[in-house]
Amino acid sequence: MKSENIMILIVMDIAPSPDYMTCINARSKGSAAQLSEQRGAVLVAQGGCAGGATTRAIGDRAPGGRMLSDDLKLDGKVAIVTGAGRGLGRAMAIQMAEAGADIVAAARTVEQLEETAGAVRTVGRRCLTVRTDVALSQQVTAMVAAALKEFGKVDVLINNAGAGEESFGKTIDQISDEDWRRGIDVNLSSQFYCCRAIIPHMVRRKRGKIINIASGYGLRGGKHNYMYACAKGAVLQFTRSLALTYAGDNIQTNCIVPGIFPHNERLMAFFKGGKFIPLGRGGEDSDVGPLAVFLSSEASNHVNGALIRIDGGGLAGGITPTGVAPALSA
Amino acid sequence: MPFPKELSDFALPDKAALVIGAEHPAGRVAAAALSEAGARLMIASQEPGTDEALAQTAEAVQAAGGRAPIVRAQSATIRADVRATVDDVVERLGGLDVMVMALDTPYYAPAEAADDLAFDRVMENNLKSVWMAAQEGGRAMLQRSGGAIVVVSSVLAERGVPGASLYCAAKGAVANLVRALALEWARQNLRINLLETGWMTEEGSPALRQDEFATNLLKYLPYKRLVVPEELAGALLYLASPASRFVTGETLAIDGGLLCRV
Repeated sequence: MKSENIMILIVMDIAPSPDYMTCINARSKGSAAQLSEQRGAVLVAQGGCAGGATTRAIGDRAPGGRMLSDDLKLDGKVAIVTGAGRGLGRAMAIQMAEAGADIVAAARTVEQLEETAGAVRTVGRRCLTVRTDVALSQQVTAMVAAALKEFGKVDVLINNAGAGEESFGKTIDQISDEDWRRGIDVNLSSQFYCCRAIIPHMVRRKRGKIINIASGYGLRGGKHNYMYACAKGAVLQFTRSLALTYAGDNIQTNCIVPGIFPHNERLMAFFKGGKFIPLGRGGEDSDVGPLAVFLSSEASNHVNGALIRIDGGGLAGGITPTGVAPALSA
Repeated sequence: MPFPKELSDFALPDKAALVIGAEHPAGRVAAAALSEAGARLMIASQEPGTDEALAQTAEAVQAAGGRAPIVRAQSATIRADVRATVDDVVERLGGLDVMVMALDTPYYAPAEAADDLAFDRVMENNLKSVWMAAQEGGRAMLQRSGGAIVVVSSVLAERGVPGASLYCAAKGAVANLVRALALEWARQNLRINLLETGWMTEEGSPALRQDEFATNLLKYLPYKRLVVPEELAGALLYLASPASRFVTGETLAIDGGLLCRV
């Protein structure tokens, strides 16, 4: 069977949605014949629409046509980044701004937010700062409303805010009810509140990208690590359910799973400078930015429900200590 | 056309890259993406006799703004061929920085119908070929300052599919091969990652037949459609470039969320 025939069959089989038709019309500028002249264009049109707008024809990138780099750029997109005052959140906000996005930076500490905003504006993008405790749902709702008022839309939500250090380390008998609730609220409920506030907007627009930040502790256990590990494990499941639920609304939900990112000297000492990480170092905040850019971009329109580890290879192993191999036999 | 400077993490300026399995759609997409990012390319086949498809890939590379790639017909299951290909790329491009393997030979048959010959062929084409290319390419990369390897595989590595037991076994083996190699080579700055595709619009796929399986499958997929090869491009470039500098031994699925399903 010739591939063009196969393509047409697929299109017909799945009963094209109104979105799909809109996409076809927009792309072909009213000329279906013109469209079909391009090799594989029917398939690409169909493929591109259900997963977002893509205008490339199969195997063809004609001069002046849409390139991968066009898909990777974030020009014109608006992204909310929680926990944007420092660490991974700040790094993602700045690198996404460099790739073209305007940023809504949310965090508890205004001074830190202003530093992030300064860096975003330096690269020529707009930045709205909203002081927010993401563990409190009213504040999250107000933050999202402020974002929509300022920019009129939100394309990307990065649920980055969390509290690692204060959420583990105590023995189980030392953890109060309040400790438990706070640990779960700041690391898990916060992501639920943000998604609940923004998803109706994304559903109306039939487009959106949600990036939840989990942790290697969401996949493996840790000593004296209860609230953090439980909440981050739940973030993975939250991601999967959102991914399945909103695929039809062209909302991609994915999860970044950072490994060891020692943000201060105490953590650097605790993790022994990263010498137990296969790549031989801890993560640097700027390591995460490109992944955030990719997952926010049109280049990831069929990546959905993915858990993407960024951990120097740590989670690929784990049944021997890093850097130690069994003795070689002849 | 230079790659945009605001995406410099994804750029591969003048890097030497080898795509094996370049006659396949995933290989073609990889070659075009690497080329757009600035890499100099050799494209090699999984099987000989695929010149027409290789020529189409070469065209896609140039359409993406790159120079004409070096084209090499070879068999990915013959050690001498793979070694000669790697030697050739090192000699002609001055080394090897990036290697993408799009090695795939699907096999669907009831378990009781498969004989030992089928077992050997499925393993040879889907597993041993990856092992040999990783070994030969890895050796060349370790001689310099490391590099990045991307292995294109399938979500069948993660779940069982009835009627595809051998294929699932081979793909599962590839996935854990990648993890182990990642740990072995991490300290030498050689990263290796896996890109798993969902059911794709690829010639010969059972997902394209007009039968009960294909009809039900489409309803089951979160996006109600198959993956288009071009949708692999961004993830391929992410894994092949410094954008993923802190990532090794990782699996990235392009499946629209299929692996989330019960």
